[in-house]
Amino acid sequence: MIINNIEVLFGGQAGDGSLTTGDLIAMVFKRMGLELYTFKDFPSRIRGGHTNYVIRASEHRHYGMADFVDAMVAFDLECVEKHITEMRPGGFVIFDNTSDKLTDDVRRDDVYFYEAPLAKIAKEQLGLELVRNTISLGVLGALIGMDSAIVRELVTKQYARKGEKVVAQNIGAVEAGEQFVKEHHPRPSGYSLNARPDDQRLLMMGNDAIGYGALVAGCRFMAGYPITPATDILEWMAKYAPRYGGIVVQAEDELAAINMTVGAAYAGTRAMTATSGPGQALMTEGIGLAGVVETPIVVVECARAGPSTGMPTKTEQSNLNHIIFSGHGEIPKIVLAPGTVEESFYLTIAAFNLAEKYQLPVFILTEQALCQSKESIPRLELGAVTIERGKLSRNGGLEFGTYKRFEFTEDGVSPRAIPGTEGGMHLAPGSEHNDAGVITENAGNRARMMEKRMRKLASAQPELPKGNVLGDPSAAIALVGFGSNRGPISEAQDRLAAAGMATRFLQLRTLWPFPEDEVRDFIAGAEHIFVVENNLTGQLERLIRYVTGPLAHMHPLRKYSGRPFRPIEIIEAVQAQVHGRRETAVV
Amino acid sequence: MATKLSPKDFATATPSWWCPGCGDFGVLAALKQACADLVLQPKNVAFISGIGCSGKISGYLHSYAFHGVHGRALPTATAVKLANRELNVIVAGGDGDGYAIGAGHFLHAVRRNPDMTYIVMDNQTYGLTKGQSSPTSMLGFKAGPHPEGNPDAPINGLAIALAAGGTFLARGFSSEPKAMTEMLKEAMQHPGFAVVEVMSPCVTFNKVNTYKWFKENVYHVDDSAGYDVRDRDRAFATLMQPGKMPLGIFYRELRPTLDELVLGKESAPLTSLPIENVDPKLLSLQDAYA
Repeated sequence: MIINNIEVLFGGQAGDGSLTTGDLIAMVFKRMGLELYTFKDFPSRIRGGHTNYVIRASEHRHYGMADFVDAMVAFDLECVEKHITEMRPGGFVIFDNTSDKLTDDVRRDDVYFYEAPLAKIAKEQLGLELVRNTISLGVLGALIGMDSAIVRELVTKQYARKGEKVVAQNIGAVEAGEQFVKEHHPRPSGYSLNARPDDQRLLMMGNDAIGYGALVAGCRFMAGYPITPATDILEWMAKYAPRYGGIVVQAEDELAAINMTVGAAYAGTRAMTATSGPGQALMTEGIGLAGVVETPIVVVECARAGPSTGMPTKTEQSNLNHIIFSGHGEIPKIVLAPGTVEESFYLTIAAFNLAEKYQLPVFILTEQALCQSKESIPRLELGAVTIERGKLSRNGGLEFGTYKRFEFTEDGVSPRAIPGTEGGMHLAPGSEHNDAGVITENAGNRARMMEKRMRKLASAQPELPKGNVLGDPSAAIALVGFGSNRGPISEAQDRLAAAGMATRFLQLRTLWPFPEDEVRDFIAGAEHIFVVENNLTGQLERLIRYVTGPLAHMHPLRKYSGRPFRPIEIIEAVQAQVHGRRETAVV
Repeated sequence: MATKLSPKDFATATPSWWCPGCGDFGVLAALKQACADLVLQPKNVAFISGIGCSGKISGYLHSYAFHGVHGRALPTATAVKLANRELNVIVAGGDGDGYAIGAGHFLHAVRRNPDMTYIVMDNQTYGLTKGQSSPTSMLGFKAGPHPEGNPDAPINGLAIALAAGGTFLARGFSSEPKAMTEMLKEAMQHPGFAVVEVMSPCVTFNKVNTYKWFKENVYHVDDSAGYDVRDRDRAFATLMQPGKMPLGIFYRELRPTLDELVLGKESAPLTSLPIENVDPKLLSLQDAYA
């Protein structure tokens, strides 16, 4: 019997309501005191096409998927066909056999099938085929021992705004599911749950944490253009920002979005935009503008699989080069990369402070497997949040003729007057300019001004978020990674340690300016260095090689199928390499 | 409010980069006069410009001036206005900036109707890059990339703006200082997005649409009997009429501005929100996730 440890894959066709039920399942687990990670694997279309929602519940926080799926809820044969190989031996499938019949070729001897005509029950007993999702929740709950009071409470809450009838239908659906198990499937599933204290934890998605962090940080203007997987942030801000006096503009394209962000920030509001690869490409010019007019903006990049349209709903870390190196000319910029939902919140706040203190663009680089995933997290702390606005002059005291917007200073940061401030009038040009903002191509000024702007990175250095070092810092085996790989890597570490192999892991949280010293110190003395990343060409590894030069004991560990790592893939690759086999550990 | 201002109060010490005789001097002079007549305070003027000869104008108006990237002045300015609605926001750019690279933004600014003034300084060529065809160059205009003549029909920016929901549409001629000043004053007082297209001859690269050409090829709608700026159909017919080029205010309409729709009628500027202290109410927002 496996207790309090289960990964559920809930799958069917897009548009059939499986995301709602997946969210419900996750919330039931959370309320039963378990730790959660969810992963949405959906197609880039509205209706139709296989979609699935993975919900992992366990006693420990994992920030990623497990090796295998324990329980599959399949509404069609396609779901079984696609995922049966991902099932853990001993796992089970709940299969809706209303229209599709199971075929022998998809069956596995070590996986049990609980067949139930979910759609038929929905239609015949409840008069609404749509509630087959909720019936499956009843079936799953009965098989693994979900707290039925919590299930009922959450179902009621979920459908309350649709009226009593819908609530009654869905409660009836839960009961029908439970009843079906009682009558037809007495066989135990092999899984059970023990409720633990919930402690008012949150179940939050990465994108929501970024929106929330932005609002807490004082962001009151957001402009964006819809793009998966970043749109959630735009919609989150549209819902919540107005309650705090803020506004959201849906721009006509990403060119407008970035220039609006620059405009609002120039005027003195904390402002951000959020986009993904294709939008990031269009924003490049505007980001350069922000760099040269020294306007503080925050740009969230929710990375997805490229190039071009690529796979819009799939995860990838192939925009690292792009975000760091895109842009003509040279500007100072900062790139932060959270690895968990909690970090998404806190690093967003840090991003706004850094942006305004150093008057430059700050990026938050996240990716689909993190930004659209939910994690159970402790309550977020607001008490320690400080808002640092840097050298912002808002209360006048500036003398026109003396005031210099782009004054040469030791730290590179100049006093910033915003429109409306007495005495601060100046030109802020994208063209090269002198300290007063007057356009000039003077050679000496050019060099000084470039140095002044770039000096801000050195000034910001001590405040840039340090990476997390996990595991045994003196272990001979080192792993380096960022973003959503935090989860699978740290889990692989735990299991390797249990098998007698100690490892150290540097989860980078500042990616630009590249933390050269941090990386150099971390890898010193390691016998093996694994650079774990979700792209084909090893973009992170190349950044490291700029620092270290080529190293024979540095090994690529890359995955670029659009899906995140599962821990076993990392474990096997590390073991294969360390035990002497030389094959490339691409999985 | 200051008592009386003169155009000198809006002058900067920066020497102009324009060619002697450039039409843009007339636009700048009229703009300074309009700002002075309306007793605007330089600290409350946000002047956003695009790229090109016209874009240089932001360096010559004493104000909070922002010289952004090519074609993107309108989104920048829209956000400046939304962030601080107390500012007088003025945007200037050329025909290439507004009708070519920034054409998309132009349409969307028109339909949004933010409370600001947009001056399109139209010289019917790309001057700063030394005389290529622009979206308003006449058919057959001989230019670098078009040695045999421009094959692309010119854009009628004001007619497009009217179709897109424009609420203030005017065209002036930069060598008519008084009319230009009055037109700009009307535009700046219009509660909404005021588009003022100014024919601003390029003396160096446009040898077709010269001052002389304009004098012979324009007329003023004010002189047309019964012209009514509230008459949308008449405005459209006037703008679409082949032949001589009409000047004047073609159309005016009042509809809610973007700032009113997004921010409400009375709210304080976003820039004045006290964000330095984290609003304690933000804490309870987490309850939705528990």
